[in-house]
Amino acid sequence: MERRDFFKKAIVTAGAAAVGTSTLEAGVTTQPIDNRKVSPVAFPEKRPLIMYSDRPPLLETPRDVFTSALTPNDQFFVRWHMPDIPTHIDPDTYTIHVNGLVKNELHISLNDLKTKFEQVEVTAVLQCGGNSRSAFKPIAGGIQWGSGAMGCATWKGVRLKDILHLAGLERDAKWIGFNGSERAAYYETPEFVRELELSELDDHVILAYEMNGEDLPYLNGYPLRLVLPGYYSDSWVKMLSNITVTNEYKKLFFMDVAYRVPDNETESETPEKRYPTTKPIKKMNVKSVIGYPTKDSLVSHKSHVVIRGVAWDDGHGIQDVLISTDGGKTWDKAILDDGKLGRYAYRAFRYPYKPTTFGKVTIMAKAINKIGQEQPFAKDIKWNHGGYKYNGIDEVTVEVV
Amino acid sequence: MKKLILIAALLASPLFAQVNEKVEVPYVAFPIKMGDGFDAIQTHCLMCHSFGYIINQGRQSKKFWRGKVDKMIVHFKAPMDEAAAKITTDYLFEHYGNGKLE
Repeated sequence: MERRDFFKKAIVTAGAAAVGTSTLEAGVTTQPIDNRKVSPVAFPEKRPLIMYSDRPPLLETPRDVFTSALTPNDQFFVRWHMPDIPTHIDPDTYTIHVNGLVKNELHISLNDLKTKFEQVEVTAVLQCGGNSRSAFKPIAGGIQWGSGAMGCATWKGVRLKDILHLAGLERDAKWIGFNGSERAAYYETPEFVRELELSELDDHVILAYEMNGEDLPYLNGYPLRLVLPGYYSDSWVKMLSNITVTNEYKKLFFMDVAYRVPDNETESETPEKRYPTTKPIKKMNVKSVIGYPTKDSLVSHKSHVVIRGVAWDDGHGIQDVLISTDGGKTWDKAILDDGKLGRYAYRAFRYPYKPTTFGKVTIMAKAINKIGQEQPFAKDIKWNHGGYKYNGIDEVTVEVV
Repeated sequence: MKKLILIAALLASPLFAQVNEKVEVPYVAFPIKMGDGFDAIQTHCLMCHSFGYIINQGRQSKKFWRGKVDKMIVHFKAPMDEAAAKITTDYLFEHYGNGKLE
């Protein structure tokens, strides 16, 4: 599209967060950076968020948003890969194409999608694989996200299965490739494509046009995106334009080079010695984030504070969230919401806390899922070169006055 | 009339709004450091991404930055020759480096 659009409006403001000097300690993990200022620049349909880049747009949700199970659309994080995102979209003519190893090639308009298929909803967490990357030392390559490269929404759309059923898969169909409408500056650059193996497909995988009851925001992939509950967001192709069915896996930059972790049990390596084989990041591990209080909160001595936050995993479901205010020596169960949003959604938690000492207190939250997986302490998270899949126990230090 | 999608941060009335304007994403001038090699950065990096993408990677080794430049050439097909790769790497390391070669 017209790249000039990006330059036309010269709002001159210092963007985010020049990252400060770091100490280079091999493979040490700490808490992710949590002092980023919200940018004064508001992006289309968004409230001001933490901004790392305008082109492609990279916006992080501030911590205080994570006190409820659904993330408002206008505070939902944004992450694109390519510089050119269409700035004109006509919903009356927008059409997705289904081709490759299918009996009937399909061209489905948005209206057809909304009227000719069963409409379904799923509430699911969308989280960047590099969320909380700033916890890794030495610094892992990539944007140094805090813990807000994530959100949870109720997505409405159509089952991918129903669409593939209508298209009729050929016998040797095995892989489904998804292509979005974002474009690189150079024709030679590989497009942002993801592939899903047919065996990974279930009823929860949908093509969504609505998010929390509204049209998808432009920056979250209007008018249609892939929703893959339980998976990191690099698989959730935005502004979906094409679905191609193939019998063999086609090499893809984003799955074969980027977004990969060491292919060993701990998914870790050392900065000095990279692990020779890697695998794509796929399913999310168990994690929680405290939304309130935040590091800026002043808490009154002997007052009644309600610690709030969210916890999630890849769909096994959250069993418990435990809170510690004594550095992880003792833990107490938080109260979880009713869980009615389903197993792929955030479980909002709350915990009544009455501070009985003055000065700094560190609050920790640890989630445990239904198959017993729990968050490790931040310091026990092992390093990987891409800084992916961080899920250390979250900490917020507040001042009791 | 052709329906176009939305925008304007000003648009308080939320969504479903299909206004007759195209989307404008704000342009942000990131505080990039000036110095030798800046012209090369402007020519080769800004084509695909903002300076924010550089600044927000954190301070890195020379090997890291050379790796990033190579990634742009090999995977993203940036049209850069060895001279340009060297100039951009030197600039990135000087201004956004951690002082270590590896």
